Amino acid sequence: MARRSGFSAQTLSVLASLVEVDPADWRHGYQLAKETGLRSGTLYPILIRLAERGLVEACWEDGQPAGRPRRHLYRLSSDGLAAARAALAVAAPERRRRVAAAGRAGKRKVAVAGA
Amino acid sequence: MDRFTRMLAGLLGRSAGLLPAARRDWAEAVLAEAGEVRAGAGRVAWLGGGLWLVAREVVMGRVIRVLAFAVAAAGMVWIGWPGASSNSATPLNRVYAVGTVVLLAVLPWVVRRYVGPVRSGWAPRAARVGGYAMVLALIAAKTVKDRLGSKLGAYFPVIPPVWAPQIVLLLVIAAYVAGLLILTSRRRVRLARWILPIGIGFGAVTAGVLYALAPLGVAVDPSGPSLKWWGLAALALPLATGFLAARLSARDTRPAALGPVQQGSLAASCAMATAALLLAVLTSVTIALFPHHVPLQSPPPPPGGGCETCDPNSVVIPPGLRHEYWVELSVGQAGETPLAVLLIGPFLGAWLGVLGGGLARRSPGISRGGGGPHALSPPQPLGRLMASDANREQVIDTLKAAFARGGLTKEELNVRTGQTFAARTCAELAALTADLPAGLTRTQLVRKPAQAQPRQPVDTGVVWSAWGLITPALFAAIVAIGDPTPTDNKPIEKILSLVT
Repeated sequence: MARRSGFSAQTLSVLASLVEVDPADWRHGYQLAKETGLRSGTLYPILIRLAERGLVEACWEDGQPAGRPRRHLYRLSSDGLAAARAALAVAAPERRRRVAAAGRAGKRKVAVAGA
Repeated sequence: MDRFTRMLAGLLGRSAGLLPAARRDWAEAVLAEAGEVRAGAGRVAWLGGGLWLVAREVVMGRVIRVLAFAVAAAGMVWIGWPGASSNSATPLNRVYAVGTVVLLAVLPWVVRRYVGPVRSGWAPRAARVGGYAMVLALIAAKTVKDRLGSKLGAYFPVIPPVWAPQIVLLLVIAAYVAGLLILTSRRRVRLARWILPIGIGFGAVTAGVLYALAPLGVAVDPSGPSLKWWGLAALALPLATGFLAARLSARDTRPAALGPVQQGSLAASCAMATAALLLAVLTSVTIALFPHHVPLQSPPPPPGGGCETCDPNSVVIPPGLRHEYWVELSVGQAGETPLAVLLIGPFLGAWLGVLGGGLARRSPGISRGGGGPHALSPPQPLGRLMASDANREQVIDTLKAAFARGGLTKEELNVRTGQTFAARTCAELAALTADLPAGLTRTQLVRKPAQAQPRQPVDTGVVWSAWGLITPALFAAIVAIGDPTPTDNKPIEKILSLVT
């Protein structure tokens, strides 16, 4: 199934994690690592590849937060969101439920933006 | 453990500098979040992953390619260097082994100034690595073969070395490498998808088949049946490749600067160049490895001395060395046909490719594909987030594209480029390109209708300079020099005696 969508299982889990809750939210690397259970050496190459294909946007956090360095933040681009939904739709059935939830959340957001 | 973690973090921070500017952000991102990972084994693993990331990127990046090239080049010079100075091939070998290495090292820097770095994707990178490996293997095998072919130089000059063909070979190699670098570069030449892999693939398959027919080259038996197959392949390969490439480029809807016939011609000359180079490499390596399997070029002279006694200019061969002389002569001359094909192959391919492309254009159902700029969504508002170097590069690309299309004046471009470097947030960057067409933000090249602008002088000039300018010059050189025989070669012998 992963082969049909063109993404590896690990990449799919990153995409699922980025789609979940609110795709417009900016996420940071450690958060994604916790959600997907991937190690940094696996997660970051995936993010680099997705960013180079224009599916993920990356930017540094604004300002200097107290007590910690600035974070590098990620979210799906509009192309990335479409690609992630398409890929997850053909992936394992237990994901389908989560994607549907994310899709409803996305539609709600579009409706709000339209109104 | 704490000290170890700090050491790893320091190592990661320093090693990030090994990455190109656009990738450095990612290593710094891993470092920035290390503080949030639970101290101990988890944080060590996180930092270790970051180091792994840097190592992976560095290995896949430029450093490892430069190292691999240095090792291969040193190996080739090492193969080409030895040999007694009485062997007439030795001084030649030393010159062109070193010349080739200098050429391979310098050309990417020269070409990069005009056509940019290598195009992203596996195919252009693989083509570059493969092309370099082929050239190194060819020169290494040829130095071995030449040395084997004039061992008797220790006794008398059996085959006087001829400098002109070697210099021509060096120039041909330079043209091949320049062509390879231009075709796999990011700017200038916009070939439709699959054209380069198809050209290279067709050429490689043809070379494989022809090599199976004549593993030691066809020069050893010019009347043999394999020469006919060579002729057939030299006609069929460029015609078929040109036809297919022209059809593909007409169907392709991506932005392309070259017309179908030009793309067909380029693909065909690419196929011929690949076939010629591969054949030359395979044949030369076979001869260098199995010199005793090379068939004798012509029957040995009669035992009485033959023509040596009637021709005062000919080299007198002691009777005991006569057989060895013929073996060496055959080894030295074998594999010359593939080297000649190396010179004329791309030229022939370019012309027959035009023919193939023209046939494809006339065939029904083909018209120049439409298109228009890619309908890409405008960039998402990034708000008051801090801009990275990668973001700035993207904006500068957009500004340059707008300048190229006439949307910005030179002054505006300069002012805005300055503002790009001064901008701190993504919002400030977005403002710089806000009044430019959205389609430009991700694709720098916008397709222009073929009818409106049938020729693009700069692009076409760069493409044809590789094959169309250098190859005829080489032809002229060959014709002017003629076919030097040992007796014509006195001035070169004098120069050689000074060198050795």
